[in-house]
Amino acid sequence: MKIGVFICHCGENISRTVDCPKVAEVCRNFPGVEYSTNYKYMCSDPGQKLIKDAVLENKLDAIVVGSCSPHMHERTFRNAAISAGINPFLVEIANLREQCSWVHDDVEEATQKAIELVRMALEKVKRDKPLTKIKVNVTKRILVIGGGIAGIQAALDVANAGYEVILVEKEPSIGGHMSQLSETFPTLDCSQCILTPRMVEVYQHPKIKLFTYSEVVKVEGFIGNFKATIKKKARHIIDDRCSGCGLCMENCPIKKKAYNSFEENLAFRPAIYTPFPQAVPNIPVIDETICTHYKNGKCGMCVKVCDREAIDFDQEDTMFVADIGAIIVATGFKLYNIEKKSSGSIYKGYGEYGYGKYRDVIDGLQFERIASASGPTSGEIKRPSDGKVPKKIVFIQCVGSRDESKGISYCSKICCMYTAKHAMLYKHKVHDGEAYVFYMDIRAGGKMYEEFVRRAIEEDNVKYIRGRVSRIYEEKGKYIVKGEDTIAGMPVVVDADMVVLASAMIPHDNAPLLARTIGIPYDKYGFYNEAHPKLRPVESTTSGVFLAGACQSPRDIPDTVSMASAAASKAIILFSSDQLEREPVVAKVNEDICQGCFYCKKVCPFGAIEVKDIKDINGIVFKEVAYINQGVCKGCGTCTATCLSKSIELAGFNNEEIFAQIAAL
Amino acid sequence: MEVLRKYASELLEKKAVAAVIGYVRVSDKRTRPAIITNPEDTSSLVFDNYCLNNLSVYLTKARIKALCRTSDKPMKLAITAKPCDVHSIVALIQENQIHRDDIHIISFNCGGVVKDFGLEFSKETLASKCIHCESQKPVYFDKLFGEEKKIPAAEDKQLQKINEIDSMSTEERFEFFKKEFDKCIKCYACRAVCPLCYCQRCITDKTIPCWIESSSHQRGNFSWNIVRAFHLSARCTGCGECERACPMDIPLGLINRTMAIEAKKSFSFVSGRSLEIPTLVGSFDVKDSDELFM
Repeated sequence: MKIGVFICHCGENISRTVDCPKVAEVCRNFPGVEYSTNYKYMCSDPGQKLIKDAVLENKLDAIVVGSCSPHMHERTFRNAAISAGINPFLVEIANLREQCSWVHDDVEEATQKAIELVRMALEKVKRDKPLTKIKVNVTKRILVIGGGIAGIQAALDVANAGYEVILVEKEPSIGGHMSQLSETFPTLDCSQCILTPRMVEVYQHPKIKLFTYSEVVKVEGFIGNFKATIKKKARHIIDDRCSGCGLCMENCPIKKKAYNSFEENLAFRPAIYTPFPQAVPNIPVIDETICTHYKNGKCGMCVKVCDREAIDFDQEDTMFVADIGAIIVATGFKLYNIEKKSSGSIYKGYGEYGYGKYRDVIDGLQFERIASASGPTSGEIKRPSDGKVPKKIVFIQCVGSRDESKGISYCSKICCMYTAKHAMLYKHKVHDGEAYVFYMDIRAGGKMYEEFVRRAIEEDNVKYIRGRVSRIYEEKGKYIVKGEDTIAGMPVVVDADMVVLASAMIPHDNAPLLARTIGIPYDKYGFYNEAHPKLRPVESTTSGVFLAGACQSPRDIPDTVSMASAAASKAIILFSSDQLEREPVVAKVNEDICQGCFYCKKVCPFGAIEVKDIKDINGIVFKEVAYINQGVCKGCGTCTATCLSKSIELAGFNNEEIFAQIAAL
Repeated sequence: MEVLRKYASELLEKKAVAAVIGYVRVSDKRTRPAIITNPEDTSSLVFDNYCLNNLSVYLTKARIKALCRTSDKPMKLAITAKPCDVHSIVALIQENQIHRDDIHIISFNCGGVVKDFGLEFSKETLASKCIHCESQKPVYFDKLFGEEKKIPAAEDKQLQKINEIDSMSTEERFEFFKKEFDKCIKCYACRAVCPLCYCQRCITDKTIPCWIESSSHQRGNFSWNIVRAFHLSARCTGCGECERACPMDIPLGLINRTMAIEAKKSFSFVSGRSLEIPTLVGSFDVKDSDELFM
């Protein structure tokens, strides 16, 4: 085997502490080395040409590049090798930058270490085997989980590109949090007016199959070839018979037994209901927990008024299995529970603000409903307790967010903006009212955002006070808000009629459960992790699973929509070819010596390992061994490390290669 | 004894099992394992305080497994197992080496066994695993024989030694094990008797690349014994066969029991006690302690 050694100076990054010409010189005499040189920037065009020419001229079989981390330029050098006719897996990188020059001062010692690193890479490259990319078929259908604005946008984008979409939403209607909002910042346009056309478009799109009141309960398989099991919960309504006339809801005798969660518990709903008038699909569901029929078999008022015979009390949950090629997770967020101090939770709650105790201390989403024209007060700002118009209102930002003592260290990103919007909406509706905002900082980064906040302060005369509120208590029908003005250095007391708390955005309680169902990582709060915070923000580390919206971190509507479109385009890229190419760095089982203990199966984070039966000549199974699905394997090597009998080898990093590297030291 | 023989004979006659793995008497204080396929041979089966082998080691052997495949449909294997041997069987089931449905466990209420052949059973000659035994009744069985018995109380010298080693400095501890491991002759008797050392090709036998040096110097002695300790951590059920089989009297039980104590302390896990509890190796709980990570 003829090997070429190419030592890169990386400008001065390597050559400052490593004598590159000397390394090249010494390595020239190592066994197997046919050619050795050094160059200022090996990754540059002339540098790559140098490699190509040297390969062709000296008829090299393999190359070792002493350069930066393989994370940076391994692909570059592999491509150079391909263009010179060498298998890309006969290229080894000796990391002379991150693992040598950047971490050492002494030139002589660093040079010696660099030589050793090259020697190790040489021993590996001698044992490297040529590998070819793995091809996997792709099912061109996508599963979008979550029917908020993120899921809607992603579903429409993928469907408009011509691919089938399955959209799953756990609530009876799509729309998510955006459908609850009154107006949106910074333009103050009506949220439902811009959202509902999209919702209808989803419903009518021939490529989108919509599952509302449904949940994803199981995901198997791998990129291009997932199999998802969807549970469609019983609505007790036969979908294709219901015309959405609403007679059943009007006539349901149960009026005040359950709060409407769409109205953030500020209004009641009947036992048979759609969450809001523009619901998509406009098909009600029956709440079994309060419906009289499920208590004593009586009532049946809805059945009597429904002339289409759409009510079916005996309907049961149904399961659907779908073959899909990619998944977009767009499950959104929920609000931090302000009053609760549940044990075992990382969130501590704000008992001192009296949320839950005082009816006029509400959270941001409740204020959205109060301000919304379709809300419980028809858009008039009224107190939930007595329906009076509050003349003095206090908004408190960062309730939960940026407060490590309450369990959250991050910024929820949207509260500065929506608090300004709330204060503005209040002032527009209650002209003689006073609005106070307690804030820590104003974070208004975004197009027209800063201008929007200034407008609230300057045009609408909202009083911004920088400081935290320590306590809220009731006194003579007023809510006494005790805080501090840290700019004036003075304590502040406001006797408010109503208080709105901008509580933090947190993931749904079952976000970790869904993550485990799909097989994607999440952080300590339950937000889903992206593959790379800068360069792969919409991909999860699981191939074929993409992220959109606030399930990944708090974000506003424009960011969510951009992210959803980005995730959709990632899926469309995936669907643009019939077969996927995978890196061949995957694990392989030696079936002769595999003992079938399946510890590998237990530890595999990607579910790539299956049980394979080995049969004797009579067809009787006499042994079970591990089998690794090459489409799923990511080459992490956990199985190879776990295997007690060392019956699994990782292609490109097999034991012989690694031992040779160690032995070369 | 007669009921056991009758029962085993019936199992074979009915062709409910392909073979009975049991103990037969060799002399007064000595038994040996036997694989019985002929109903008549069951007349020599015994079970008493001298049945000290852990017979579950045979369950994974290819030739014995092959016995089950000779007829039209696969047959079961019957095994006479002490309650502590049942722990090994549980571990084997959990590691997919045997299936619960493929074996018929004949177990006994156990009163302890002698630590080696030829000794008179008494509290002085009690096997060290019996001194701290917490399972005189089997956790799983298909047939149970014998009255409940009491194990004679004896001093737990093994635990005393573990505590003694625990209080040593790192250097002293290294010296202690260096001395012990120096005796190792690489006969691999410990591996041969261990039910959980079921790999057809042990990592020690691999030469390309060579994972464990087999030469009899310190490095080779340490690599074998330490790798074996690691491979058995949280898997070893504490049957004590390795220590008994070691011709050089290396106190392997000290190592295995220390690892077991650690697994119990850190993860409340004891190997082979339940088919419902997942094995410690290969299971993950967010509440797991991080303390063992260096």
